[in-house]
Amino acid sequence: MIKKIFSFTFILIFLIFSCSSDNDDSSSEVWEQKSEMLTNWADNFIIPSHSTLLNNLVYLEGAGNSFTNLPNQQNLDSLRTVFINAYMSWQYVEMFDIGPAEESYYKSKMNIYPTTISRIEINIQNENTDFNNSNNYSAQGFPALDYLLYGIETSDELIISKYNTDSKYLSYLSEIINQMLQNTYPIVEEWESYRNSFISSVENTATSSVNKMTNDFIYYYEKGFRANKFGIPAGVFSGGALPEKVEAYYNKNISKALALESFQAIKNFYNGNGGVSLRQYISEVSTAEYSELSTDILDLFNIAENLINGLDDNFYNQILTNNVQVLEAYDAIQQGTILLKTDMLSVLQIPTDYVDADGD
Amino acid sequence: MNMNSKIISYINSNTNSSPLAVFRIGFGLMMLYSILRFWNKGWIYTLYIEPKFHFKYYGFNWIKDLGDYTYIIFVICIISSIFITIGYKYRLSMVLFFLSFTYIELIDKTTYLNHYYFISTLSFLMIFLPANAYFSIDNILRKKSYKEIPKWSIDCIKLLLSIVYFYSGLAKINSDWLFNAMPLKLWLPSKYDIPLIGETFMQQEWVHYFMSWGGMFYDISIPFLLLYKKTRIIGFILVIFFHLFTGVLFPIGMFPYIMIVGSLIFFDYSVHEKIIKWIKKIIEPIRRRIIIYNNIKEEKIIIKKKKIIMSIISVFFVIQLFLPFRYLLYPSELFWSEEGYRFSWRVMLVEKIGYTTFKIKSNKNESYFYVNNEEFLTSFQEKQMSFQPDFILEYAHFLGDYYTSKGYLDVEVYADSYVSLNGRSNKRFVNSEVDLYKEKESFKNKKWIIPIDDEIKGF
Repeated sequence: MIKKIFSFTFILIFLIFSCSSDNDDSSSEVWEQKSEMLTNWADNFIIPSHSTLLNNLVYLEGAGNSFTNLPNQQNLDSLRTVFINAYMSWQYVEMFDIGPAEESYYKSKMNIYPTTISRIEINIQNENTDFNNSNNYSAQGFPALDYLLYGIETSDELIISKYNTDSKYLSYLSEIINQMLQNTYPIVEEWESYRNSFISSVENTATSSVNKMTNDFIYYYEKGFRANKFGIPAGVFSGGALPEKVEAYYNKNISKALALESFQAIKNFYNGNGGVSLRQYISEVSTAEYSELSTDILDLFNIAENLINGLDDNFYNQILTNNVQVLEAYDAIQQGTILLKTDMLSVLQIPTDYVDADGD
Repeated sequence: MNMNSKIISYINSNTNSSPLAVFRIGFGLMMLYSILRFWNKGWIYTLYIEPKFHFKYYGFNWIKDLGDYTYIIFVICIISSIFITIGYKYRLSMVLFFLSFTYIELIDKTTYLNHYYFISTLSFLMIFLPANAYFSIDNILRKKSYKEIPKWSIDCIKLLLSIVYFYSGLAKINSDWLFNAMPLKLWLPSKYDIPLIGETFMQQEWVHYFMSWGGMFYDISIPFLLLYKKTRIIGFILVIFFHLFTGVLFPIGMFPYIMIVGSLIFFDYSVHEKIIKWIKKIIEPIRRRIIIYNNIKEEKIIIKKKKIIMSIISVFFVIQLFLPFRYLLYPSELFWSEEGYRFSWRVMLVEKIGYTTFKIKSNKNESYFYVNNEEFLTSFQEKQMSFQPDFILEYAHFLGDYYTSKGYLDVEVYADSYVSLNGRSNKRFVNSEVDLYKEKESFKNKKWIIPIDDEIKGF
């Protein structure tokens, strides 16, 4: 009898499952929309951002070579210019900590700040170039370059003379630039093959592209953008301001520009730039209560951006002179975090990272 | 016959012992598999050993994880479930299983699931039932077996299962579940990746309502369908279908299979005798080597310390019947503040997501800083903490103690907390002006929870 019950049930289940397939013609909309979104992300965001960065790093290498051959003011100026360009384009890449980038700790090797000066100096003296050692993550990449181009001495003249007198500095400089290229090449290359598996991973699981990328996006907004660029230097997590923790601390004048560039990258990604992205996807699935959510998020972004625009170009100065303004900008950014991490995740039903356990 | 004599004759009435024997075997095997699966997934480490801090049930602070030795508790669980399956030193094994399993659950309430609570209560109950009366190693050792056992010993399990179903059905009679199809309206469309039904059925609003109402009627009626002989087969088919279906939809692990196997207890003993015959056939090669089993005498069972056992079981069921209603003692909205929410068979009722950060003030001055939760909590703990008030309070105290021990003076802890419940826009959850480090955990209403400002009607 038990056997009969089981077979009857399975027939029942089978009937229900198979009926449903020819019942409805609105099928595969969700699936298609998601794969459209992933394609948009890969083809119009991730891949082009990486190639722009790669191009800028190639320029950086060229300018670096000129400077190594002849360390003078003119070559230093042009090296600094391409450094800033490359750093700007990095802001469009950092959030894509997925696939080949995640596997190679790309983000950590490129932009951990503040950079560890003592480590850099030790590396220079010992001519150590073991950049895969995680202790050296904060002694390479953009923040290390920032130090080497602006911070090793108090004036341009002294910086240039230091490079002229100590060739170890020059070789570390070119080694770091070379390393940034070496880190970026394989990622650009691997994306060519990774793209297909990325855009085909449409299902709703902890490791699918939709879920991982959405989590990466939120993580970048919360940590890479909100905390690193504003919260930490403004002292939100420490009780007292730590202005020396701003991005591009040694350059001093581009911290705001980098932050705005990063915000632009965030907004572009959210908006989809003409293609399907989170914004369209939210308005598609949202319930009555959440009908305004996709524009609410954008409104909060704009409020925050206005407050950032009102800050000094130099966050270091801004924090020293009037940190309240930075904290206000931080609070506005924080409003976005709340919306992304509660309402957006609730609507999208995307579980947060790596929670692996049974449910009720 | 008056009431009293009816009760006495019920207590003294006997029934065939095979259903309880089959239940024992099913229970043991299910537990064995569940724990091996848990181990194999690496959850012993990630859930119990890795976290620096555990969220404790009120009054159970003294239960600690044993570091790397935590595995030993699981080994006890495994060995005792093997012994339960074969019916070897049954009562001792059942006690060990109950204690080890419950100990594990008490280490950290982050992992609380109604399913685990069900296992704990069921294993407690089973300590007092003669589940080794028949078809067990204990029979061979004692050279005695019992064809009949008291009727109440099987009815106990039926009653517990009925409570689980019926109460979880009652809990579904609320305005969010029935009239807004929440949270199924959020959950089902996200199952677009299930073959065939994912992109069709799961996207339809009527399906969300149908499944909400259907789920409620199912839970409420299933005990009755299983109890009456005429509807039992239909009931069991529904049990299989419902549990397999929810097993496909939601990440609920072993629970569907445990309930399907458990529901077999409602069938007549003839079914169970067939099952035992079938098991005997499988283990025939082993059985043939054990010669002595021929010498087992069938005897009439005498339950020792019957009065004590009966009173323990009575108290157990009185608690089971009333505990789920304790939420009535709290003025707050149950789904929002979760005061009296656990241990009440409220399954799948809420989609809750929170974002909670903590502000530390010290030295009575205006300067403050925010805590990075990642420093102390695993992502699973942070997720659970963010929308449950007792977690928030406990973590606030942990932070207060931590920073005090770091040399900060007059530490104050404030929570910045936002929660979204069943598709409502996020609202501030905790009064951010209240120093949580000064609030004490208790069974009293937590006044620092900001009311939801909305009413969810129903049970």
